[in-house]
Amino acid sequence: MAHLLADGLRFRHQDTMIHRLDPRIKLLISIALFSVALLSSNLSQLAVAFGAIIVPAALARSLRRLGKVMSVSLTFAVFIFIINLVFGYGFLKSATLTLRFMAIVASTSLFFVTTSPDELEYVMRWFRLPRDFVFAFVTAVRFVPVLMLDLTQIIDAQKSRGLELDRGGPVKRLRNLIPVLIPLIVNALVRSGELAEAMESRGYGAVKKPTSLYTLRLASRDYAALSMTVAAWASILLSFGVLAQT
Amino acid sequence: MVALDDVSLEVDKGEVLAIVGGNGAGKTTLLKHLNGLLKPTSGSVKVFGKETKEQSVAELSRKIGLVFQNSDHQLFSETAESEVLFGLKNFGFSEADAVRRAGEVFSYFGLDSLRQRAPLTLSGGEKKRLCIAAVMAWNPEVLVLDEPTVGQDYLSKGRILDTIRQLVAAEKTVLVVSHDLEFLWPLDARTVVMMGGKVVADGDSQTVFSDSPLLEGAGLKQPQLVTISKLFGRSPSFRDVSDAANWLSRR
Repeated sequence: MAHLLADGLRFRHQDTMIHRLDPRIKLLISIALFSVALLSSNLSQLAVAFGAIIVPAALARSLRRLGKVMSVSLTFAVFIFIINLVFGYGFLKSATLTLRFMAIVASTSLFFVTTSPDELEYVMRWFRLPRDFVFAFVTAVRFVPVLMLDLTQIIDAQKSRGLELDRGGPVKRLRNLIPVLIPLIVNALVRSGELAEAMESRGYGAVKKPTSLYTLRLASRDYAALSMTVAAWASILLSFGVLAQT
Repeated sequence: MVALDDVSLEVDKGEVLAIVGGNGAGKTTLLKHLNGLLKPTSGSVKVFGKETKEQSVAELSRKIGLVFQNSDHQLFSETAESEVLFGLKNFGFSEADAVRRAGEVFSYFGLDSLRQRAPLTLSGGEKKRLCIAAVMAWNPEVLVLDEPTVGQDYLSKGRILDTIRQLVAAEKTVLVVSHDLEFLWPLDARTVVMMGGKVVADGDSQTVFSDSPLLEGAGLKQPQLVTISKLFGRSPSFRDVSDAANWLSRR
C-alpha cells in the first residue's frame, strides 16, 4: 500500500501546461482546490469539488496517478466512514465527511504529482524558510522513491530466505517486520551519512547566502492560470452559497 | 511497461548457467520468476516440472536459493551465525539440525572466524560470502546469484569464483547473472545473452564470448583474454592468464 502511495506521489517529468506552470501557481491551485474541498458540506458541493480537481489533473495527464493515491486513501476513507457511522452521524453525513477527506487528499496530491523536488525547493526558498530545513525536507521527498525501492528489494530478499510476512497472529506479523526494518533503517542511515559527506565535500554550508542558479519568474501563462484559478475559485465558492440555500 | 517478453529457457539439473546482458535486459526480473517473487502474467515458468504460479515464494525458495546483489539488503542479525540460522528456522529445521548445518556452511565457506561477528561490520567480500552461506545452509537444489561481483575487489571476486566452483563440484545447479564477463569467463559455463527481455544467444562461453558484435549489441564488452586470443589467432581462447603466459613463453 505504501508502495502504491509513493509511486502515485512520485514526480515524473511530463510536458503539460500544468507541469510548465510556475510552482507557486501550482501551489495556489492546490490551495484553492483544498479550500473548495474543505468548504464542501454536501454531496453536490463535493461533486463540484471533485470536478474542479479532475480538470487540472486531466490537463496534467495525471489522472491515473492521482487514482493510485486515491486507491490508497480509500482504506482510510472506509475507516473514517465506519467511525462516523458508529458515532451516529448517519449514512449521508458520514459519506459526505468521507468524500471530503478524499477530495482534500486529491487536492494536495495534485501539487506533489505535478511539482518536481527542485521546484518544491524554489517555492520553499521563496517563502524564505531556513535553508537547512528546506534542504532536509526536499531531500526527504527526493529519497522517498529510493527508500521504497530499498523496501521492495529487502522484502524480496527476506522472502527468498523463507520469511512469510503475512503469517501468524498480529504479534508474529509485527515481529516478522524486524528483518525488513533493520536493513531498511541501516541503509537509510548509511545513505544519509554518505549524502552529508558528499554535500560537505561539494561546499554545502561554505557561505551563508549561496546564490541561486534559477529564480522564479512568472510568465504570461502563469498570470493566465492565476486569473482563471481565482475566477473559478470565487465562482465555486459563490455557487456553494447558492447550493447551500437550495 | 513490458518487463520481459519472449524469454524461453530451460536449465538442466547440475548445470552452470551464466546469464549476461546490459542494464535493463531483464536479468533480475527473470531471476525473480524462479522463486516466485514475480509470477508470469502470460506464459509459463516451471521449477522441477511444477508451475511457479501454484507454489508460494517460501516453497520455491526451499528449492531455489536466491542471493541478491546487495548484501546489505539481507543482513540484519546480531551475529553472522544468527544470520545463517534465520533461513533455517524459517524453513522449519529443528534447533539442533539448524546449528549443525550452520556449523557446516561456516566451515565449507571458510567463515569460521566470522561466526560471532556482527554482519554489518564485515567487509564487502565477507558479506557476500556470508549471504551465499546463509542460503546454502538449507541446501537448495539450485543456487542463483544476482550480480555477485558488484562492489567486490579482485580477491573477493576470486573467492566467489572458488565458491561457485565448489558448488559445481558438489553437482549443484548454479545460475549466475552478471554483466562482468571477465569474472564469468574462467567459469566456462553455458552462457545466455539477454537483451530487451529476449534471449538473443545461448551457447557455450567460447562461442558466445567470441562474438564481439553480439556482445557489443547487448551492451557488453568481450573478456580481455578472448580478445588477446583472437589477436594471436589462438583458438580456443586462453581461459586464464597463466594459460596465456605459458602459450606465449612457448612461442
